[in-house]
Parts: sequence; structure tokens; C-alpha cells
Amino acid sequence: MNKISKKLLAFLAICTAVTPVLAQEVAEDSTLVNVAFRKVAKEDIMGGVSSVNIAELMEKNYNTYSLDNMQGYVSGFNGAGMWGYTEQLVLIDGVPREANNVKPDEIESITFLKGAQAVVLYGSKAANGAILITTKRGKVTDGLSVNVRANTGWAVAKAYPEYLGAAEYMTLYNEARANDGIADPLYSYETIAKYASGANPYRYPDVEFYSDEYIKKAYNRTDVTAEIEGGNERAKFYANVSYYRQGDFFKFGEAENNYVDRFNVRGNVDVKLNKFINAYVNANATYYNSKSANGGSYWEAASTFRPNRVAPLIPLSYIDPNAAQPNSLIGTTKNFINGCFLGGAQTDLTNIFADYYFAGENTWTSRQFQFDAGVDVDLSSVTKGLSFHAMVGVDYRTAYTTAFNNTYATFTPTWSEYNGQDVIIGLDNFETVDKHSGVQNISGSTDNQTIAFNAHFDYVRTFNDVHNVTAMLVANGYQQSESAVYHKVSNANLGLQLGYNFDRKYYAELALAAPWSAKLPEGNRAGFSPSVTLGWNLARESFMEDGLFNDLVLSASYSDIVTDLGINEYYMYLGAYQSGGWWDWNGMSGHAGVQSKRGANDDLSYIHRKELSVNLRGSLLDRALTFDASFFTNKTTGQIIEATNQMPSYFMVYYPESSFRPYINFNDDQRTGFDIAVNYKKQFGDFGFQIGANYTYYTTKATKRDDTNYADKYQYREGKPLDTVWGYECLGFFKDNADIQASADQSWFGQTIAPGDLKYKDQNGDNVIDNKDQVELAKGGWYGAPSTLGVNLTLKYKNFTLFMLGVGGFGGHGVRDNSYWWVKGEDKYSAAVRDRWTPETAATATYPRLTTGNGANNYQTSDFWLYSTSRFDLAKVQLTYDFPKSLFGKSFVKGASVYVSGNSLLTIAKERDILEMSIGSAPQTRFYNLGVQVAF
Amino acid sequence: MKLKNIILFSAATLAFASCEDLFEPAIENNQDITSMYKDADFARGVLDNAYLVLPYSDSPNSDLATDDAVSNDATNSYKRMATGAWAANNNPVNTWEGSYHAIQYCNLMIDNADKVIWSYTEESVNQMFIDNYLGNAYALRGLHHFYALRAHAGMAEQGGELLGIPMHLAYVDAGSDFNEARLTFKECYDLIMADWNKALEYLPIQYKSIGDKSQLPAKYSQIGADITGYNKAFGDHHRGKIDGKIISAFKAQLAILAASPAYSKSGACTYQEAAKLAAECLANFGGLANMQQDGWKIFDNTTFLNNFGAADEAPAEIIWRANINKTQSFEVNNYPPSIFGNGRVNPTQNLVDAFPMLNGMPITAAGSGYDAKNPYEGRDPRLKMYVLVNGSTIGHNNAVINTAQDSEKLDGINKENGKSTITGYYLRKLLRSDVNCNDENSTFNHLQIRIRATEIFLDYAEAANEAEGPKAKVGGASYSAYDVIKALRSRAGIGLDGDSYLEECAMSKDKMRDLIRNERRLELCFENHRFWDLRRWMAPLNETAKGVSITTAEDGSLEYKIIDVEKRDYKDYMYYGPIPYSEIMKWSNLQQNYGW
Repeated sequence: MNKISKKLLAFLAICTAVTPVLAQEVAEDSTLVNVAFRKVAKEDIMGGVSSVNIAELMEKNYNTYSLDNMQGYVSGFNGAGMWGYTEQLVLIDGVPREANNVKPDEIESITFLKGAQAVVLYGSKAANGAILITTKRGKVTDGLSVNVRANTGWAVAKAYPEYLGAAEYMTLYNEARANDGIADPLYSYETIAKYASGANPYRYPDVEFYSDEYIKKAYNRTDVTAEIEGGNERAKFYANVSYYRQGDFFKFGEAENNYVDRFNVRGNVDVKLNKFINAYVNANATYYNSKSANGGSYWEAASTFRPNRVAPLIPLSYIDPNAAQPNSLIGTTKNFINGCFLGGAQTDLTNIFADYYFAGENTWTSRQFQFDAGVDVDLSSVTKGLSFHAMVGVDYRTAYTTAFNNTYATFTPTWSEYNGQDVIIGLDNFETVDKHSGVQNISGSTDNQTIAFNAHFDYVRTFNDVHNVTAMLVANGYQQSESAVYHKVSNANLGLQLGYNFDRKYYAELALAAPWSAKLPEGNRAGFSPSVTLGWNLARESFMEDGLFNDLVLSASYSDIVTDLGINEYYMYLGAYQSGGWWDWNGMSGHAGVQSKRGANDDLSYIHRKELSVNLRGSLLDRALTFDASFFTNKTTGQIIEATNQMPSYFMVYYPESSFRPYINFNDDQRTGFDIAVNYKKQFGDFGFQIGANYTYYTTKATKRDDTNYADKYQYREGKPLDTVWGYECLGFFKDNADIQASADQSWFGQTIAPGDLKYKDQNGDNVIDNKDQVELAKGGWYGAPSTLGVNLTLKYKNFTLFMLGVGGFGGHGVRDNSYWWVKGEDKYSAAVRDRWTPETAATATYPRLTTGNGANNYQTSDFWLYSTSRFDLAKVQLTYDFPKSLFGKSFVKGASVYVSGNSLLTIAKERDILEMSIGSAPQTRFYNLGVQVAF
Repeated sequence: MKLKNIILFSAATLAFASCEDLFEPAIENNQDITSMYKDADFARGVLDNAYLVLPYSDSPNSDLATDDAVSNDATNSYKRMATGAWAANNNPVNTWEGSYHAIQYCNLMIDNADKVIWSYTEESVNQMFIDNYLGNAYALRGLHHFYALRAHAGMAEQGGELLGIPMHLAYVDAGSDFNEARLTFKECYDLIMADWNKALEYLPIQYKSIGDKSQLPAKYSQIGADITGYNKAFGDHHRGKIDGKIISAFKAQLAILAASPAYSKSGACTYQEAAKLAAECLANFGGLANMQQDGWKIFDNTTFLNNFGAADEAPAEIIWRANINKTQSFEVNNYPPSIFGNGRVNPTQNLVDAFPMLNGMPITAAGSGYDAKNPYEGRDPRLKMYVLVNGSTIGHNNAVINTAQDSEKLDGINKENGKSTITGYYLRKLLRSDVNCNDENSTFNHLQIRIRATEIFLDYAEAANEAEGPKAKVGGASYSAYDVIKALRSRAGIGLDGDSYLEECAMSKDKMRDLIRNERRLELCFENHRFWDLRRWMAPLNETAKGVSITTAEDGSLEYKIIDVEKRDYKDYMYYGPIPYSEIMKWSNLQQNYGW
């Protein structure tokens, strides 16, 4: 146990308890920005921080997700992460919480702490950056202020993937078999013709998952929110009550009733207890339900279930009335839909359609209760400018699924023909039966708990009008626990911040943190994170007076912060044995074996983020034009790896899970980039104009790796971007057997090579193609696109407001490696295979020859399958009309507005078809919304 | 009031500060190796790891990379291996990690067994347990080295010295020198045999509970052991672990490997020696006279399987076995699809053709009586016991399996990719015939047999024939290679009216060699022997796997068309396996075998 920490906490507590009382200065807060544990005037921020005023934004851009397209408003954030890092710490009112459990209409502002200097005071878990979401609070009002907002909208699929119909599939499957040397076609020409004619879709099915028989054109989402606030100088409160319900695409069976709904109540109270103590309490409760039909994912089935396999529903009228067997067997089921019974096949005893009709339903329920409270104590009586602040948060979440699980019988028909009519003369249920449990099953119960606290002494004082001094001593931490997970997520930290500026001209800031991590060996648990920032506001210099700039601030910062993010487990330093794999030598005397879990490493230590950043920020034209630009370069050093290349391979086996390998600090990464935000705002009479543009660029590099497992330099990971897509360089299709003979041997993949297969470049010249021939292909953009553009535009004319948002990501690449593209074996055939290689189409083919095998040669990551994920999206358009105030006169209504909006309206991209297509998951949608807002 | 609030607040903060994982990690059951000294269960668990990674499989796998069988699963790693994907960095028969990892635990036991308090009450029991665990540890260390040797021995350059593997006779810790060189094949052979001889000093010839003090070994009665104590340390309930009888089989196996053409020039072992070691092993099981008559079909003896008890003495056919498992996974994997199996292992036409006629003659021999229009009739009974041919029955309903191309059901050749056979045959051996794969509760006892007496008989026959010819009695045995083969064939029911073909072969060592190898192929099929047998014999590796496409002619008769199913793509250097690529990259003293 860390006695120092405990003592410090005790000291803080005692100080708090015995502190006398003094008045507090009231700070202006119009331009204050939330940063770590405090608010800072916008002009005093020295880089690495961006913020968005969400309350203001929501007046013209209604949204449902807190971080929706934030790259459109702030620079340095690219949708996936900030400054090349992902997995930021999200703090809602200072407590680590999920960004999707706070709605934008509850939010006052969001601050993005991008730079290391901005997160140092939070400690370990914020080392990748932090996103601070601050909820709205009550203001002093004249009586109650009530704001009600209602929205309804429809989600429409952007695109559906195209799959081949039954007859085309069967024809091409025969071709694939022939390619594999299986001479006999599986489907005869006559059979295929019957499928093609569509005369009897029950005997010769042709199932189309995306047909309007099963899928609606659009589904609805509706929400309503009421905000109530009020208060006076002594007490203020804010409450937000909201509900939404969202439907689903399906129009059949139990799935027709699929929905998601959410109800939440958020409230907070600020109380001035006396002249020097303010206290507050925040609470939030969320009730979330998601109901769906049993049976897995329809969209997954849509990407795998071949069209000719099963007719899901077959009319009873096809059963030969004179045949005893089928008539008696069908009497054993009660599951009929519109005079049809459930069709099956021995290989498909269930299917998603029958599931959605008869397998029952389930509801996932999640309840979250979030509570935090704090005090702010003015200690000016002790020392002028001193104050004390403390808060504690307790969150609790429980989730579970309730389900009614039924099974059903399917019937495989034996067809015959009487006088040219198809009839069913036999049925086989393969022992499937209808079972209605009637019992509600509860499963998947999980509980999550978060406890967070922080306490800090702040000192803010100005001497002689020009010497501005700030200081803070902070202790903070949190723990998150989850049912059935033994260890907790923990963060403990002590921080000290010292700031000085001379007349807001010359700035110097020092921040020190001492994180503590129980994941490290004793002796290495205390960390040390220093950060230094220097700033200069040139606009305040005499030589710049009356110049172009209203503000021009140049700042530079260097930080070396330590983190245990990336130390994934506890005890990774400890060589230890544990009971594991069960062994039974004769069926009688089983007992647990004892395995070594890892080798010891007493030197295991923190990972460092060492960062240099430079920021230039300014405003001109009477502050109508502002800009904010940053350059950053950082190194993440000493990342943990298992010592695989340093130790013999036999130090570890997967079964029984056993290892003598230690974990060591080894890998280093580098991230470098810049971001810039420019905003311009101007009013011309009735016409208002505002435009913002943000651009972010970053690049990454692995600066230290152990590459001993690579024989060739071009395979070394060191020196390459972290998001490198590795793969083969494709030389096109094999033309013929002579071509195969003359080329490097590709049998390493374990597939017989034939003309029409992909040919790869033999990079190392050993005449064999294997994984030693993989090279760097492109950047994947795994930490967000390498460059990101966001543009927002607001036009106002009288009471009309038009808002438009565009976001773009450029330079990333994807691999067409899902089941739509990599069609093999018994896969469903997508439209992509139409462009396959055949001897006749050799010149124009854009897809390899078909195979019923594993396709292991062709379906490797190679530049053949690479595509650019660069895109620009018109993410949002909203037109708002505010009713003139005069309209309401003295009625209780104070204001009202209506708006229409559309989300994800347009994508401009070379590979738009690929980007807009979802395989195995629900279609991406555009969303059209109509909303109204009334203030009372 | 406010003061009280603040105090409460601080108290909460303090309470929070004592949470586990915040300042110190929550306690886990982490122990270090010295825990084994005071906890016998912990100590036992250390050696368990060497048993957990034993190099045996309960289903055919390396067979799928031979001319005996193919898989209908396009992603099967042995299929990929056979069709050209075998490489030092893609080696399904690699044992390197498993073997040496197991050896680490053997060495931990050898180093510490005498420090463990196995019994807190009786010193004699303590000593007997030390012997048991030391014996097992030495035996397992030898065994794991043996399998690593088989998989990785070879020559650094063509025609060069036969190299073995590094031998780990001490625990390797993180500070050791990992840059080891390989020993010669002969050095490895000698060290492995030495481990087994050492093990024999500690272990009884057989685990057996005794009822009479006179049966106590002298070395234990001298230190005051009693019957109860002995039975604790060496009684019936240990059956399934390695004892002296099993070690004698290990020796025979290693010897025949070393004496074979691929390794003979190492000088590690002669055929005489191999025959002697096989004969010594067989003597432990009653020799030829005690050959189990239904040993060739013991896999399907449901009465035996259902009643075999965990601590029972195994019948003569079973030298070593794993535990009894109630399962249906073998059947789910390998039954034909019409009875809800996945049809995985598909025997080849090559194997089917290797079964002789009932009269003992090969189907190709003049006057054998083979009828290509009726190919499964009048054949060696082992054919239908090991291979499910068109028209056979299997499953709890005795379903008739139609593997023809025009079969109405999924069982027809190439009907349903990944479920139907791709050769026209399904696996029969190792499966029970009474499982309902459409009912997950239909599980039955299965017994994985690791070493069969038949294998050692065949080792003897092979070695004796090579050493002194078909009819010589070698290495102290009272029977010849000819006697063994005759017994194997007659117990299967072939050549009962005078086995003219056997008599013909007995005239010539070369012909006898071919016959012995063929008998070995049949008797041990689907038990993962052939892949290694072909290699130690330096036999051809690239026989194309064939199948049969059966169609019904207009007159209702069946037509059998032999088809090529899967080509084998092995290079000449693939008689010896590779050292793992990753280790070659790391350790400069470790030499790769040529070609890899």
C-alpha cells in the first residue's frame, strides 16, 4: 500500500474539515473553457485543447450522439482519435463514462484535450488524450424555464449489396466445380432452367433477402425531450427528461416488432451553502431496452444463405391430399403462416425466416444510474486566491437479457409431378419439433460500477495587476469494476500545476503528475510525468499594437507523461504458476495441472508519451476571423511486448496455456502531425454568415521493433507506419499453365494453382511465394484517416438558419476481404463474381476464377483487393425557422422553432459503392428528420 | 452541517483509497515453483503438463497428407500440407514447441521430486511417490525427445551427417544460453534410450494393486513399505500412466525408426537390435501366442468399450491407452452427411485397392478373383471394417450409405461441399456404429489407443525380415516375421485355405518386405502411422490420391470410374521435416535441414 498517497489524502481531508471560511471572487465565465479540474479563459490556453459549445450548436444542428461528426468542428480530432491516438478517456462531468449515454441536448460543451500538456494532471488513463463532456446546469431565471423538443425521422438504407439469383448462382457454381477439376456438374441444365423460370418458387426457391417482401423502405425514430431549469442566487437546478424509440427494417414475423427505446432523466442542483461554500449534486438515470426476434442476424444470413437452398414458406396446398405420410406429419406442427408451412432441408434445419417467425424473442435491458456531487470552498481567509474543490461520483449499470426461446420443426419436401403439376408426396422433419418453452429466460446479467473522486486546492491570484499566478495540487482517481471480471480498471494520480503569466503576454506553465499503477512491480509503481509550456502573446507587444491581429499567441510545450495504458493485465511482471488445464489419465482421476503463466521481469515499467508541440493561435478583423494551428511530434516508448523473439519459441504453448516468457518494455512508436482550425463569422444586416474549416494530418512510424523474425529488410516493421497494410504485390491473373510453370511456386498457400488465379511478385527471389514476400502496401488509417477535413457553414437570413456540415477523411485504405468479395466454397455468390476470370474473358476480367475450394491463393491481402477509403461526406444539412418573438406576445410561450434535417446525405468518393455497402451487418442509412422546439 | 458534509466526503474518499487494484493488485493465486515442496497436488500438476501435450491424436490427421486419405474440408491444414504448403513456417507436424515445453516440466520434476513432501505420514510412501514421479518424468522426457526427433531430424546438407535435435537434460531458464546446436541422431538415440532405462529403474513393469506382502518389491519392503502404501503409489488407479511395459514399446518404436533406411546410416540402431527390442516388448504381453484375436476390430467392440473401467487392466492388444471419453465428436466429424455427420476423413481408392482378396491375393494378381464390376465383394474383411464403401450401413438406424454420384442423398460423391465424400468412401475405423448424430445426447464411450500390440508385432516382423529374412526367429523371439504376418492375416480371416500369396512372399526378403509394409498400411491405417512410415522407408510420397465415381448404367448395374482427387506435392527433401523457421532466424548455431 502506498502510504504516501494515503497520508496525502488524509491531509487533504483534514485541511478541508478545519478550513475557515472566506468570501470568493466571482469569476466571469463567458469565455471559460473546461480543462483538467478547472476552467480557464480561452485566451490563456496554450495549445493542445479544442472545445465546442454544444448548447449553441444544437440550436442549428440537432443531433442524437454526443460525438457525432465532431471532426467537423474541431481540429486534431479525426472521428476515431486525436493526434494519432485512439481510445481516449471520456469524462462526463469529471467521471469516466460512456459517450453514448449522454445526449447532445444535455450537453453544454465538449473539450478535446489533445496534447500531452493538457492531460498530464489526469494521470495514467488519460495518456491517449481526454474528451471532457460537461452537462448543462441551471441558470438564474425569472421563474421556471421549460424547453420542449420533439423529433421524428426516417432512416433509409443507402445501398444493399447485390447477390446472384438462384439460376445464375447454380450456373456459376457448376463453373467453379469444373475449374476445380470436378467434371460432373452439380446442377443439370434442366434443373437450372426450372429455377430460372420462377414457375414454382417453392420447389425451386430463389430467396432474395433484400426484397420488399421482407424489408421496409424506411424505419422511424422519434424522440421527445423536456428541459426544465430555474433558480436564484442561492440555488439553481436543471432537469432533462427524454425518451426515444427506434424501429427496425423488418416487416415480417416477430422481427416486425423489433425496437430500441431509451428513457432518461438527468438533473442537477447547485446550492450556495453560505458565502464561501458551493455544493452541487448531479444525477442521471437511463432505462434502455432493445427488443428483437430470436435467431441471430438477418444481415449476416443475407450475406451467407444461398438463394436456392430452402423455400422458407411452402403453401400447404402443394401437399398431395392422397399422400398419407406428409398429411400426417404436417399435423404435428401448428406453425403456419398464411397457409404455408416452414420449409427446410437436411443441411438447413433452421433458417433466419423461420427464426424470426417462430423462434421467440428477446429483450436486452440496461439501466444506468449515475450520481456525482461536489463542493467548492473558498479559502481566501487563509490565503487570498486559495480554494478547495472536491467531488465524488458513483455510477452503476446493470444489464440483462430476457428471452422466450422456442424451437420449431421444419419440413423437407419430397416433390413429384402429377399431370404436369408439382405436388409434395413426402415430408421429413429430421426430428425437429415445435417447442414453446413459455418460460422467460434471463441471461447475460452484467453489473458495472464506477467510483471516481478528485480533490484539489487551487490558487489563483494576480499581483500588481500584471503578475498572474495559478497553482493547483490535485489528487484524483477512479475505479471501474464489472461483474465476473476479477480485476478492476484503476487510475490513481497526484498532480501539481504551477502557472505564471506576465500581463497575459509571457506565459510559463509547469505541470507535474505522479501516477500510481498497481500493475507494475513494487518499486516501479510510482511514476513521474513532467510537462512544461511556454507562451507568448505577440499581439500584446508594442510593436504589434494596432496591427492586423487582435490576438496572436505562440506557444510551445514539452511533456513526458507516463501511463499504464497498454499494460493490459495485473502481475505481468511476476513469474508465476497457476492451476490450469485439466488432466485425466484414465477417466477416473482427473485433476488440474499447474502451469507457468509467464517469466518474471522485475524491471517492467511505465510506457512514456514524450511530446513536443507548438501552437499558433490568433484572431483578426475584430475577431471575426480566428485560427488555431498546432504541430506535434511524440514518441510512445517502452510499450509492452511478450519476449517472443528474445526467447526460444518453446517457452510458450497454447495448450495447456503455459508460458515461461516474460513481458518486457520494448516497442517505440512515433506520431507526427499538425492541425488547423479557421473560423469566420460576420453579420451583414439581416444576413449572417459563419464558416469553420478544420484540417488534421498525422503520420505514424514504428521507431523500434524486434524484427529478427524477418529475413528481408523490406519486411521490417521498424520504420514503417503503424497502420501499414501488409500483403502481396499482385501481378494479375495467371494466363495459362505455361505462365504458372514459368512463375514462382505459389503452392505454399495450399491451393492448386490454375489459370485465372492471382499471381504474386516474388520479392526475395527464392522462387517460392510465401509470407516472406509480403510487403508494405498502403496506410490503413486505423487511427483515423491520415488526413481529415471538416467544414461547417451557417447561413442566417432573418429567422431562417441553414446549417451544413461536411467531413472528409483521406489517405486511408481498406481491403476488400469480406464475404462479398472473397467468394469461395459454399459461399453465397455476390454480383462481384460476374466479372470473374474465364479463358474467354481473360482480357477484361476483374475477379479471379471461381473455386469451390478454400481460395487460399487468391484470398490473401494483396494490392489486388486494396481500395481507397478516402471520402468526403455531406454529413448534415438543417434548415431551421425560428418563430418571431412578437408572435407569442405575452402568452406563456416564449419561443418556438421548427426544423428539417438530413444526415449522411451524400458521399463523394472514388469507392463510394464499397464504402456505402454493409456486408453481414445492417445497412448504413440516411436519416431525414423533422423537429420542433418550444420554450415556455 | 457543512462541516459534517465535508467530513463525510473525506471519509468516503479515504474508504475509496483502500480499494484493491488501486494501490496494490488484488490477490491472485500466483505461486512459485517452491510451492510444490509442500503441496503434492501442485507437484503432480507440474508433471501433468508433459502428459497434456502428448504427441498422439485421437483422430486421423497426418494420414490426410498421405495416399491413404484426404479431407473434405478445404481448409484442413494437412490437406494444405500435402498439396504444397508444407514449409518451415507452416508445419502441421511440428512438435518443437510442444515437446520442449513438456520437457521443461519433466526437468522441473526431475530437479525437485525428492524435495516434495508426497506423504506427510510415511517416509516409505514418500519414497515410492518420488520413484513414481521421477520414473514418469524420465520416461516422458525421453518420449517427447523421441517425437521431436522423428519430426525434426535430418541432414544439414544433402548426404551429410544425420543430425538429431538439441537435447534438454536440464531446465532452461530465462538466463540460459539459447543458441544451441543440434546433436547427432545417434547421440539423441542414446540419450533417449538412457532416459527410458533410467525410468525403468523407478517404475514397476505394470501398475497393479497387490494383496500380499510377498509381492512387495524388496527395495520397498526394506524401507518399511506396506501393501496400502504401495498400492497408493503404484496401484491399479495409476493405469493409463507410463509403466515398464509401455516403455518397452517406446524402445521398439524408436529402434525401428532408427534402423529404417532414412536413418540407418546414423549407426544408431540395427535391425537385429530393433527386432530384439520389439520381441522384448511383446514378451511382456505374452508374445505371439497371446495375440488378441479381435485386435484388428477392437475399435468397434461396443461391449468392450461400454464396460472397460478406468482402472481395468487393458486387453493384450492395448499397450497404452488414453482415458475413456463419452462423446460423439468422432462420429459427428466422420459419419456421412445423411446421418448428420460431416464426412471429414475420406479414404482413398489407393488404400481400398491395397486390401487383398479374401484368399489373400492382391487384387492385381492373376487369378485373384477380383471383379472390377463388383469391387467390394470377396475382399479382406478389414476393408469394410475400416472403410465405409458404397452400400455399407452405419449409424443407430443402420442407414444404407449410397456414395454414388447419382445418389439421391447428400452422401453421394461431391454432393455437398464440405459434407459429402470427395473420394466415394467414408471412414469406418475408430467409429462406433451406434451413435445418433442428430441427438447431442447420444454419446458413448470412446477409448483412444496410443500404442497397439499389432504395431509392435509389425515392428518385429519388419526388423526380423530385414535382419535375417522371412522365416528367421530374431532377437530371442520364438516366432518369425512370417509367423507374425500369418497370424495377423488369419485373425482377420484371410488366406484361411492356405495363404498361397504369403507362402510365395516368404520365399523372398524383398517380397516379404512389400507384404509386411502392406499389412502395416492396412492394420494401422487412420492411426497416423503412414505419414511417418513412408518417410522412414524412403518410399514414394507423391502417389496421387484417387477416388471412385459410381454411376448407375441404364441396365441398373453400377459403373465404377477411378478418378484423381488430390495430387501430392512433396519435394525430395521432405523425407525429413524442418526446424521451425522462427528458431532458425533467432539462433545462429541451430542448423536447418537441407531444402527447407
